[in-house]
Amino acid sequence: MAKGESLGEFEYLVLLAVLRLNDDAYGMRVRREIAERTDRDVTIGAVYATLDRLAAKGMIRSEMSDPTPARGGRAKRSFRLTGAGIQAVNRSRRELENMLEGLAFPLPRGSR
Amino acid sequence: MKPPMLARLLLLTVAGEAEGEFVAGDLHEEFLHLCATRGRPAGNRWYAWQVVRSVVTLLGLRLRSGEAMQLALAALSVAVPLLLLDRLWCFVYSQIPLKDGLDRAPGFLAVNVLYVCICSALCGSAARSFQRAILIAAVTAAAAAFALWPAAGETPAIYVWLVLLTAPASSLLVFTWRRFG
Repeated sequence: MAKGESLGEFEYLVLLAVLRLNDDAYGMRVRREIAERTDRDVTIGAVYATLDRLAAKGMIRSEMSDPTPARGGRAKRSFRLTGAGIQAVNRSRRELENMLEGLAFPLPRGSR
Repeated sequence: MKPPMLARLLLLTVAGEAEGEFVAGDLHEEFLHLCATRGRPAGNRWYAWQVVRSVVTLLGLRLRSGEAMQLALAALSVAVPLLLLDRLWCFVYSQIPLKDGLDRAPGFLAVNVLYVCICSALCGSAARSFQRAILIAAVTAAAAAFALWPAAGETPAIYVWLVLLTAPASSLLVFTWRRFG
């Protein structure tokens, strides 16, 4: 696997959020989706920085929509997974499953 | 209903032209939602806190977008040749025996002004938004001021003012002409 194809933890979460939101994946919805499902306090800046990085890796592509009054007259940038993005999600899931295999959860407290 | 002005200004300042539009739109949308569900003070607090916590990442995004490179190029292309030309003039002049003081010929100063004018115009023509054009104009003016610093007091005031004014003016004029012409 070439360098740059592997996903960081937050990148993985962002890709999954984009996948879940389907046609409605834009910055604030991605942020809200991650915040609601992981109970993390995520900033919009962190989401956009990650989306930008994923777009540079070719894992997502974006398209603009027309400005709306609900957004203060500003345009919206929606995101979609590319083939490379879907491959990266599948690979990350497989890697995680392989690493979790044989472990019993929840893990006991204290050191092993 | 508008989000807090200081937070909006901070966002405009730190976010690049591309991200600024989308981030501000996203935050505005959520701000309106929060104001409707939890009240205006909560919406204001949330908006300001999001902007403050996003400052570093938005600045990083802005640097990666190539804006820093464009501004650095504008500064260097104005300052370095001006400094080098002046040093060259000083060197050549120092080789002349029995001179009195260091006089820069009007022709030499006119060439400098013309150079600054052309170079700033080229930098301004590369700007794609008004915000970027203003930044480039400010950077070219600052670079020109930096380049004039070593010769301060040795050149006519009219020359200094001409350079300091033509740098940002030609940059903005060319941007305006390309945009609306």
